[in-house]
Amino acid sequence: MSSTIIELNAPQTQAFDFQPSSELQIKPTPTLNTLVQQLAGFDSLTSALEYAAKGVTGYNFYDARGNLRSVLPYSVLRENARDLARRFMNFDLPRGSRVAIIADTSPEFVELFFACRYAGLVPFAMPIPVNLGSRKIYVQQLKGMLESSEASIALSNLDYIEFLNEASKETISLKWSGTPGDLKQLPVRDVDLEYNHADETAYLQFTSGSTRSPRGVVITERALMCNLQGIVRNGLEITPQDRSASWLPFYHDMGLVGLVLAPMVTQISVDYLATRDFAIRPLQWLRLISRNRCTVAFSQPFGLKLCSMRVRESDLKELDLSCWRAAGIGAEMIRPETLRAFAEKFATAGFSESAFLPCYGLAESTLAVTFSRIGEGCKSIQIDSKTLIDKKMAVRLQADGRKQSEFVNCGQPLPGHTVKIISDDGQQLPELMVGSVLVQGDSVMLGYFNNPEETNKALKSGNWLDTGDIGFLFNGDLYVTGRRTDVIIVNGRNIRAQDIEELAEQQPEVRSREASAFGVTDEEGSTTIVLVIECRLTSVVERQTLITRLQQLVYMAFGVNCIVELVPPHTLPRTSSGKLSRFAAKQGYIQRMGLGEQLSLAESGDR
Amino acid sequence: MTDSKYDEIMQLLCDRLSSLTNTHIEITPETNLISQLSIDSIKLLNLIMEVEDAFDISIPINALADVQTVRELVDLIYKIKTTAK
Repeated sequence: MSSTIIELNAPQTQAFDFQPSSELQIKPTPTLNTLVQQLAGFDSLTSALEYAAKGVTGYNFYDARGNLRSVLPYSVLRENARDLARRFMNFDLPRGSRVAIIADTSPEFVELFFACRYAGLVPFAMPIPVNLGSRKIYVQQLKGMLESSEASIALSNLDYIEFLNEASKETISLKWSGTPGDLKQLPVRDVDLEYNHADETAYLQFTSGSTRSPRGVVITERALMCNLQGIVRNGLEITPQDRSASWLPFYHDMGLVGLVLAPMVTQISVDYLATRDFAIRPLQWLRLISRNRCTVAFSQPFGLKLCSMRVRESDLKELDLSCWRAAGIGAEMIRPETLRAFAEKFATAGFSESAFLPCYGLAESTLAVTFSRIGEGCKSIQIDSKTLIDKKMAVRLQADGRKQSEFVNCGQPLPGHTVKIISDDGQQLPELMVGSVLVQGDSVMLGYFNNPEETNKALKSGNWLDTGDIGFLFNGDLYVTGRRTDVIIVNGRNIRAQDIEELAEQQPEVRSREASAFGVTDEEGSTTIVLVIECRLTSVVERQTLITRLQQLVYMAFGVNCIVELVPPHTLPRTSSGKLSRFAAKQGYIQRMGLGEQLSLAESGDR
Repeated sequence: MTDSKYDEIMQLLCDRLSSLTNTHIEITPETNLISQLSIDSIKLLNLIMEVEDAFDISIPINALADVQTVRELVDLIYKIKTTAK
């Protein structure tokens, strides 16, 4: 029956027609598999790959011009990963030793990741440098991760090896570092690869680029398998006709778990575009979806915004996005306007609003916590803004002249998981009351690697994970209204306020505990970082120099602009224990600037 | 190392930067992209796209980690352009 269907579904070698100069006739892996689909339910990553390797599907990598560069069927991935695993055996490392890999969007990264699991080692992905002038801070970031994880091995491809070598100097735990090519020079040890147990750590996921206190989330095979099963069966309802396209970085949980591991445990094919290539030409991602008839593709709201902003009207007619049935949206606060703008723009290209699939999750719970119902699009409710702020209560009051805030329905927890909302004093709150969002279930992390202090802050008694987000439940569905003030999200990047304050405090003019950082969000939903410093300098020139230097440092570390305000000593509000209160600092700033009216209320759940 | 191609790149880049950043300060080779022009991530992406299209090159992301001034960016483009052929 299926030869015509395979023809019709055959993905294109090129995502668009231009430049057929490459003589290499490589073909992407097909959408339809020769193997009966098994939707997760494996006991470990390697056993999932052993199964997927029996089919013909796999990963495909495209370049900035939309040409297919390399193809990695699951069968080849298995071979290569097992080969590399036997080369890792030369180091005679104890099982569970950590292996750091700089994760660009490449077949090599995926092979190394799985090689680690076959060898009983624990891989983790390190970011690539993305900001102008960021060398120094990037190297410090790498160093922080290598030290915090006590990594034994570190790998990077040639593009980044220089940064890695610089970071590896004086890292005591490190026994070896090099490129995948260097690793392939080592002999293949003739040993049996051992079976992985459910309680073993599958990988670490670093959640912050902090230089001083990076936190590596510890995820076991059990947690991973549990989360993947929920994602593919309940969240996405994956079928044999599905195919994914992704530009999400492999060093983010959504990119790695959602768009590398989830497709593999369902044996479907994926088309990858490097994050940088997407960011510069977002149209390429849509072209991949259109030409290869992809059905599942995720993005942060910021990625959709880039598409709406940068894709030209004249490009729309070549796109047919009607195949896209699951447009997953997550990883940051979702604003309905962003989705509406995208749907409006791409409706003529066949995009259906009902494809929007808002979800909520975090690396500390592997990836996903809640999913809205597939095929129903983005649902939201209007809440009376004043009651939300004054009473921390979500009231659907419709009265003339009263301001409304709109919040997106992120749906219900995956099976086996529970979400509850608690007040500041730890009491569980009823529906429609706003408080901290907590999650319990098998996907929750073991903790942060070697960091009991941070672990105790995140994991409450009964293994309830405090997500750091604020929200409420309504009919069992989760609505996120904001984040607590310790994390600022700008253009899709999570930035810890503490990291910015630490940068400031490293300046000779700034004393410790005299800097406060927070985000201010305007009506359009764009967030700006504000850094308020208590400053004793009187010279105008010196003050300006400090401001410029701080802005430059923040840019180099985080790739964002910020506002620096210098205030007299004792201006910043402190708690009774002498700690700075970011929430109060922000209120003070808003008052000084007279911003009160203009600010969005999305953060009104802050405390 | 000043040759006509180098000057051409410098000229184009200064023009693009002044329209992109909408600034009244004069753009020179020593102008700092971060502290003086406040090139944020979106503007940077636009700039890279225009430069790549104008010179038919691909700028590797790792190279940007060492770029802070206009001159450093021109040096990088010049190097890629002249070694690519």
